[in-house]
Amino acid sequence: MRIHTMACRSLRRNLRRSLITAFSIGFGVFLAVTFTASGDYSYTNMIETSAVMGLGHVTLQPVGYNDSPSLSMELAEAEMFHRELTAIPGVEAARARIAGQAMFGAGAKSVGGAFMAIDPDQETPAYNLLTRSITQGALFDSDDERGVLVGERMAKKLKLRLGKKLIITVTDKNGEIASELTRVRGIFRTGEHSVDSSLVLLPLTMVRKLLRYGSDSATYVSVYLEDHRQATEMVNYLRTRWGQKDVEILPWQKTQGELAGLVAVDRLFNYLLQLLVGLVIAAGIMNTMLMSVLERKRELGIMMAIGMRPGQVVGLVLAESFWLAVVGLGIGVLITAPWFYYMAVYGIDFTSLMSDEYSAGGVVVEPVMKFRLYRESAAAIIGVVFTLTIAAGIYPAIRAGRIPPVDSIKEI
Amino acid sequence: MTSQPIVKLEQVSKVFEQGKVSVRAVADFSLDISPGEFTVLSGPSGSGKTTILNMIGALDVPTSGRIFLEGRELATLGRGELSRLRRDRIGFVFQAYNLISVLTAFENAEFVLALQDVPVSERKEKVMAVLSEVGMADLAHRRPDELSGGQQQRIAIARAVAAEPAIVLADEPTANVDSAAADASLDLMQQLNRSKGVTFLFSTHDQRVMDRANRLVRLRDGRLEEDLR
Repeated sequence: MRIHTMACRSLRRNLRRSLITAFSIGFGVFLAVTFTASGDYSYTNMIETSAVMGLGHVTLQPVGYNDSPSLSMELAEAEMFHRELTAIPGVEAARARIAGQAMFGAGAKSVGGAFMAIDPDQETPAYNLLTRSITQGALFDSDDERGVLVGERMAKKLKLRLGKKLIITVTDKNGEIASELTRVRGIFRTGEHSVDSSLVLLPLTMVRKLLRYGSDSATYVSVYLEDHRQATEMVNYLRTRWGQKDVEILPWQKTQGELAGLVAVDRLFNYLLQLLVGLVIAAGIMNTMLMSVLERKRELGIMMAIGMRPGQVVGLVLAESFWLAVVGLGIGVLITAPWFYYMAVYGIDFTSLMSDEYSAGGVVVEPVMKFRLYRESAAAIIGVVFTLTIAAGIYPAIRAGRIPPVDSIKEI
Repeated sequence: MTSQPIVKLEQVSKVFEQGKVSVRAVADFSLDISPGEFTVLSGPSGSGKTTILNMIGALDVPTSGRIFLEGRELATLGRGELSRLRRDRIGFVFQAYNLISVLTAFENAEFVLALQDVPVSERKEKVMAVLSEVGMADLAHRRPDELSGGQQQRIAIARAVAAEPAIVLADEPTANVDSAAADASLDLMQQLNRSKGVTFLFSTHDQRVMDRANRLVRLRDGRLEEDLR
């Protein structure tokens, strides 16, 4: 039967009403893309920023370190993990690092803070926010065992300038106090207050000696993936591969619990908001479909009188919903595409509305709102639009299928 | 004509409840219709003609009594079986044509065959043949709103007979068309009855239809008044 032809022609019968309904679906697509794409962009941005602040998308660390970090916990084969990780498909980069707490002193002043020890030969700005954020000086090189990079706020607190001395005092892996004299080679500014006021970048070789670690040891190995959404799958794979070794392998959601919670809650609110908008639009679609069915009560009754089964009438009305969804989606794509392009390329800069340093979940947040839409998100939007539109047609379709043919004939 | 009736009504009554009032539209009505008959149910308005037609067409159910179509008692059939019965064995011609407005003349005539899932090529052949018979082949591509009342009635007749039903039920088929169109429609139905043996049952109080009947069943107040062959 020409059910789809009939459905399309029925929609054309009251073209203005059908177009208004299709536009409301298109507007729903516009809103869904706006909410989802801004979410996809900002969450990705925050996750990536968090990853390059130290721990990566996946972290290999000593067992129990995530729950109670301590410099006495040492990942013995860090360099071996580092070498093997870089050969695994899906892994973009891996970095062996040492992180912990220390006292930093300059002149008569001293402050408590944190350090991250890195191998300058391994590090690149792409995977290290701190080296990317150098405002004065430069990263120490591999021959420079006493060079350090300090955060701008800490430099101000300790009155540090390039070339000034900085004394680092730590508790080594055996619990002994150890100190080292270093010199400031660079100053960085990330925009995240806690990082800029308390973090110092140190050379890995020097810190290994200071903490009495082995020459292959580190606190953790940060793994950078091609796609952060593959973190859990990668963790499962690495656990299978290195299950026998004394190492804990965690995705960013575990090592960056605060950020993961923030993203999850924000995403949930985002989806709830979209659902509410979707329900309002679906109610409008249902109203339109119901009116359309009631206006055609006689015709639908006649169809059943001459042999169309009630199920086929239900199918006809649902086919109308389907085509309404197709047209609505098309309109949605047309009205959303220019907006999406602009937002994906240029975005809206909120710098003037934000404070100088804006962070959430311990992560610097970019003041420019931009769009990014993952393929799964686009598929989800299409799926939800179709589901809601067709669901909105179910009640009118059932009403249509229940029209008694004899009543339709009596109405003549 | 054979003795095996296509339609058989046994002591059929129909009572409509209108608020607190019961209206008896049909009372103890019995009737047999044999294949090839050109029967007219006549009577004044409210005599129960349309109600009887609706019950025979499985669109309405009797309050009491039994109705058989080709030996099958309608009361024993489910909703789906009744739909199939209407689709396969009954053709309808309504007073107001009742063509489907979004379909062309061809598609309207094809509608029942499409519901029967008749292959497209066979469907096209049958529909063009029946449209030629009703003289509408040239206007097959037109929508109902592009056709006159008489032309729409011809398409309605084509739709009713295209699937070769056991019986065509025609409710006041001449009520909404002018005399010329009414005569043309009646000529057409009479010709289909004579040439193809299509059984027709009319409800009407139009004398022109009654004049063409080979059986005239008169009703009064829902009861059989006269059965003239």
